[in-house]
Amino acid sequence: MTIAKAVVTVAGLVAIAWVLWYFLAPPPPARSGGERR
Amino acid sequence: MTTTPASGAPAGVERRRVTFPVMGMSCAACASRIQRQLVATPGVREAAVNFGTTKATVELDGAEPRTVMEAVREAGYDVGTDALSLAVTDLRSALDTSRLERAILAVRGVLGAVANPAAESVRVTYVPGFLDPRELEDAVAAAGFVLAVPVTEADPVERERLVREREVRDLAWKLVLAGVVAVAAMVASMPLMASEAVGSADLLARVLMPLNGVLRRGLPWLYAADPQSLKVGLFLATVPVMAWSGRGFYVSAWRGFQHRSADMNTLIGVGTAAAMLYSVVATFAPGVFTGAGLPADAYYEAVSSIIALILLGRLLESRAKGRTSEAMRRLLGLAPRTARALRDGAEVEIPAVAVVVGDIVLVRPGEKIPVDGVVRGGRTAVDESMLTGEPTPVAKAPGDEVVGATFNTTGAITVEATRVGRDTALAQIVRLVEEAQGSRAPVQRLADRIAGVFVPVVIAVAIAAFVIWFDFGPSPGPVYATVVLVSVLIIACPCAMGLATPTAIMVGAGRGAERGVLAKGGAALEAAAAVDVMILDKTGTVTEGHPAVTDVLVALEVVDRVAAGPPADGEAAVLQLAAAVERLSEHPLAAAIVRAAAERGLEPPEASGFRALEGRGATATIAGHTVAVGSATFLIELGVDVGPFTDAVDSLAARARTPVLVAVDGAPAGLIGLADPIKPSAVAAVRAFKAMGLEVLMVTGDIRKVAISVAGEVGIDEVESGMLPAGKVAVVKRLQAAGRRVAMVGDGINDAPALATADVGLAIGTGTDVAFEAADIALMRGDLTTAVTALELARRTMRTIRQNLFWAFAYNVVGIPIAAGVLYPVAGVLLSPVFASAAMAFSSVFVVTNSLRLRRFTPTFAT
Repeated sequence: MTIAKAVVTVAGLVAIAWVLWYFLAPPPPARSGGERR
Repeated sequence: MTTTPASGAPAGVERRRVTFPVMGMSCAACASRIQRQLVATPGVREAAVNFGTTKATVELDGAEPRTVMEAVREAGYDVGTDALSLAVTDLRSALDTSRLERAILAVRGVLGAVANPAAESVRVTYVPGFLDPRELEDAVAAAGFVLAVPVTEADPVERERLVREREVRDLAWKLVLAGVVAVAAMVASMPLMASEAVGSADLLARVLMPLNGVLRRGLPWLYAADPQSLKVGLFLATVPVMAWSGRGFYVSAWRGFQHRSADMNTLIGVGTAAAMLYSVVATFAPGVFTGAGLPADAYYEAVSSIIALILLGRLLESRAKGRTSEAMRRLLGLAPRTARALRDGAEVEIPAVAVVVGDIVLVRPGEKIPVDGVVRGGRTAVDESMLTGEPTPVAKAPGDEVVGATFNTTGAITVEATRVGRDTALAQIVRLVEEAQGSRAPVQRLADRIAGVFVPVVIAVAIAAFVIWFDFGPSPGPVYATVVLVSVLIIACPCAMGLATPTAIMVGAGRGAERGVLAKGGAALEAAAAVDVMILDKTGTVTEGHPAVTDVLVALEVVDRVAAGPPADGEAAVLQLAAAVERLSEHPLAAAIVRAAAERGLEPPEASGFRALEGRGATATIAGHTVAVGSATFLIELGVDVGPFTDAVDSLAARARTPVLVAVDGAPAGLIGLADPIKPSAVAAVRAFKAMGLEVLMVTGDIRKVAISVAGEVGIDEVESGMLPAGKVAVVKRLQAAGRRVAMVGDGINDAPALATADVGLAIGTGTDVAFEAADIALMRGDLTTAVTALELARRTMRTIRQNLFWAFAYNVVGIPIAAGVLYPVAGVLLSPVFASAAMAFSSVFVVTNSLRLRRFTPTFAT
């Protein structure tokens, strides 16, 4: 259980950091290929 | 795209000049290489290739278009092609298809034709310049098919309209499905909530009990149903809502995610997906929750109602957008479809698009002039109000320029075409409107801006809550953590946020409609609330838009000579005489005089021997006396001594009145002053604009003297006169460049570009359809105070929207920490997803109620 908690904690923190970084501090977005509007 | 039969070609040999695009040129040397190749081709007389425009112009002397194309290809380049889709009615079988394709392929300039019976359309690939739309139409007709829309009208604007119509229909059906399922799910969820909430002595259960009782009496069978079957039924109903009605949100959310942006779509997507996921587990594996001592609640009604409400907002938005492209269609519709051109000395009727520079076209009275050109023969007066906004027709004689789509009133003229197609004044106006609509940045919604930060933060909070509950929460950790995660996402779901703007706009727009203000969507009201400069067009906006008699001066002894019977007074006699002559004229000033006489109940006597000199005056015989009515110059030409009225004429002109003199048997009998009168409401409206803190400016196509006089009377300090449509646009742009938010009120087609360019354009009630379509807000009355009402309403609506958004977010700010379990360690309270969803519903009710308060809006100028 301790291992599970450790894994979830690390994964959660990484996820939070990633979400905030991904949406709030983006460099100029690199457009994914084939995406046209 | 031009196709010119060159004049003077020997009979039997076809000589035509053709311009077509060339692809692949990278330098001027390429152009000369193609040119050499073309000139060397048999049957080509001349060729000119322009590197700058990437176009080639060749004069064909017997060469087939195909030969020319091959020559270009041999030089190592290619001919630019274009494609268009034509709707063909009754195209059913494969047999039809090949017959139609063969017929179209035989048309000069066509490279390919693919018919599609399923869509009842045919896609034609062609070389612009070689293809004559008429030949294509003829070929289709000869093969026995009917085009749903003429080739010349299969333009991008029309296509856009069809696309928009389809979009609105699509959204409407999606809304119907989501709405029906949402209502059904809400009703069906009541017994579920009741059965599961009773034991927990939940606060929510007590709140809902009265409603539950009513429902139990009304639909007893629903309460008798097996809860598990109800859940499965709701699941089955909700799947199509998500998969079809809500598909757009998930696709947009995914696209936004790829571009690192989080908006309303992300919230809707994540929120509904979380609620759905939770509900699916509660339906098919309820043991996961019940085993942990938690109720296995489903939130299907939340999924459907969120999707339905957001779709409603989208539908309203899309319908409003459709109206802007309608403006373009109307503008293009102003141009006449056909023209009568002189070809080889004969008069032939050809499509207006086929007129080329140098063609001589005939225009009869009562017709529109097909292209821009120069008058070569005849005299007339042309109504150019489309261009200038001024209602008085302008006299035209040989050498004068005329503009396409203007209206020829009295005489037949011949016009040499100088500008056709995309170069005409009308095409330029269309382009101005197009550019304004295209360049206007889509109004970034406040909710979206906040959501851009809000959404990632909510997701982060939800994950954080999950981790904390997993690590430190009571057992079973994973279940509590999941419940908290979903609660946070559901309470953050933007139901109230989604409603904040559309409900306020719906109520505001509805209230506006009652007061004669039609706003095209929320963006229009948003822009109108923010303006700080008000530009007013003069003619038709500040003034009535048509001349009226303002002064009548009389030389009694002259009048007495002709007056049949005792006239009521001298003024009446002068009006009566003038009306008798002018009744036979079509000039607007004449119409104003006739109207003035009629308003005073005067019966004009019989007149004979009517003669009119265009734009100057007219003469006729009344009871044996020669009566002349017209400008001072006209009467002087007739030998009348206007001396007695010279001072009066000057004083009228100084007050921006148009003087019209009346003479009887060569002696001046009276003077009539005409002017475009100022609307009675204009002064009060201008004062109200200033009281609202706006800077007021007047623009007009009229001359400076008149403009200043009118502006002075209504209390406007700044005036821009002598403005053509482009000039008005320039004024708007100049102010915008200085950081101002500009509103413009106008009525004419000539105002349309400026209306579309302004941050908010208001078309006034007496205006043309085109002005209405180009504007953001249509005022149903001619009264300028309606514009004041529009701005007041916009400000009130925006204030309501801001309040709504504030409260919607405030609920989230309070609700999210509670949902995350902040109160659990302190008070042992955990917000169940049921309460999260109820809190969401309550915030929605609050927002709707706040919006409904707009119904009590009363404008300053209540009528």
